[in-house]
Amino acid sequence: MMKNIDTAPQFEWEALFDTVNIGLILINKEGCVLLWNEWIAKYSGVEAKDAINLALVDVFSEPLSKPIIAAIKRAITTKLPVVLSNALHKFPLPLFNLNGSGERISQSIILSPIKQKQGEVICLIQVTDSSTSIKREKMLRDHSELHKKDATMDALTGLYNRRFFDRQYATHLSQAQRQNTTLSLVMLDIDYFKNYNDHYGHPAGDSAIVAVSECIRSKLQRSSDLAARYGGEEFIVMLPNSTVAVAQAFAESVRQAICDLNIAHNNSLIARHLTISVGVSSCLPGMVVDSATFLKNTDLALYAAKQKGRNQVQYLPL
Amino acid sequence: MDNLSELQLDALSEIFNIGAGRAAASLSEIVSEEVKLSVPSVEFRKCSELNAKVLSLDQNQLGVVKQQFSGQFNADACLIFTEDSALEIMRDMMGSHISVEELAEFEQEAMCELGNIILNACLSAMSDMLDIQLESSLPSYSVCSSDEIIDSIVDVENQLYIMILHIDLEIERRQVNGRLIFLFSSSSLGVLRAQIDAFVTRI
Repeated sequence: MMKNIDTAPQFEWEALFDTVNIGLILINKEGCVLLWNEWIAKYSGVEAKDAINLALVDVFSEPLSKPIIAAIKRAITTKLPVVLSNALHKFPLPLFNLNGSGERISQSIILSPIKQKQGEVICLIQVTDSSTSIKREKMLRDHSELHKKDATMDALTGLYNRRFFDRQYATHLSQAQRQNTTLSLVMLDIDYFKNYNDHYGHPAGDSAIVAVSECIRSKLQRSSDLAARYGGEEFIVMLPNSTVAVAQAFAESVRQAICDLNIAHNNSLIARHLTISVGVSSCLPGMVVDSATFLKNTDLALYAAKQKGRNQVQYLPL
Repeated sequence: MDNLSELQLDALSEIFNIGAGRAAASLSEIVSEEVKLSVPSVEFRKCSELNAKVLSLDQNQLGVVKQQFSGQFNADACLIFTEDSALEIMRDMMGSHISVEELAEFEQEAMCELGNIILNACLSAMSDMLDIQLESSLPSYSVCSSDEIIDSIVDVENQLYIMILHIDLEIERRQVNGRLIFLFSSSSLGVLRAQIDAFVTRI
């Protein structure tokens, strides 16, 4: 605060008001305009000479918004500063973009009562254009959305990643147990994938993984079904509210679809084309089982499918 | 000397409820629905007695709107909500104006506005009724733990007394409660006490 204004160096205050990059309006307690800076003139389209000494409510070609009227009243009567946030009031004053589009600029407003020597209170209205900070916030949010996506998605296949699956799985299992519904898990992996990679190379291996993931995705029935890449060539699918029969049918349809793709796999020991082994396990209503045990059982089902000759679906009861 | 009399506290409580009524009217205009705001209790403590139990906001993340009042007496005023309920209020207040995803970015400014309305209403009721001239800084918003709040209050030199107001706020059928804390020096408390006494004899 500059209290000793008399001893301060003299300069033209008005030039200062017209230079600052925020809007300044000064009104007296009757609401008449005492100061109207260049910024406000520019964005309102009203020149200072046409605003000074007029009641603020009459300056604009449209009625003033209720929030700004209420805020001015509060600032004058309480003699305390008032803020109008952009979140609750997008466009308190009729101020417009300079590009001629007629688009309003979003604002944040501070009203500060100033006590004059004679005891009269006048009110300074400071207006800032919040669209740039909104833009910046939006950009930051988009970035964080992207990071969030990176954190939940598997980059190669576009399926969910293991971390995301683990979180969802824990939630769904406890929900299923609470609501007495069946939760089924399907775990699958590509048969002799190491041989495939060795023979066709890693880029081809990646393509095979993508092909399998697309098969899985195409067979998902409901929006609540969730497929994830669980390891290198290993996938897991969670089917909430799905009976053993439905889960088995799903598993079989994926297995069949992979066969039908007929991707050559000359180094497979069981076929001339790419195949998968699938394990299915279900947590039935009333069962009490922890997430690790259920997952382990599904893994054992997959192991059984491998043991019994691969390219097949095995169900293992809990 | 440490505490205010029952009569003085009653008078303050009445004054703050008038302020709360004004704040509720302002908030109702913003949300276009009835907002209820009341101050069911007022208590005085020494700063050194302040702890989480006295504050009785058990959640750890708190949203705090702070303004410094000065004039015939000086006080730091903090309006405190648990962060969750602060977000809920904002969500309700913004209603259709804004999506929940957009909420976080505006939270700070909107909380400042909400806090500013409540703090100003309470303070101006006090300055009207008790005939005290007060000025105020602009509001600032921060999120901190109850320990941090308590540490900052206990640390302030000369601010020996605290007044704790319990605030019940009901917006769109959602009830939240918060605290409004004033920090006073003993000389400021003396001014307040004298003004309350003058007020009590006037009525």
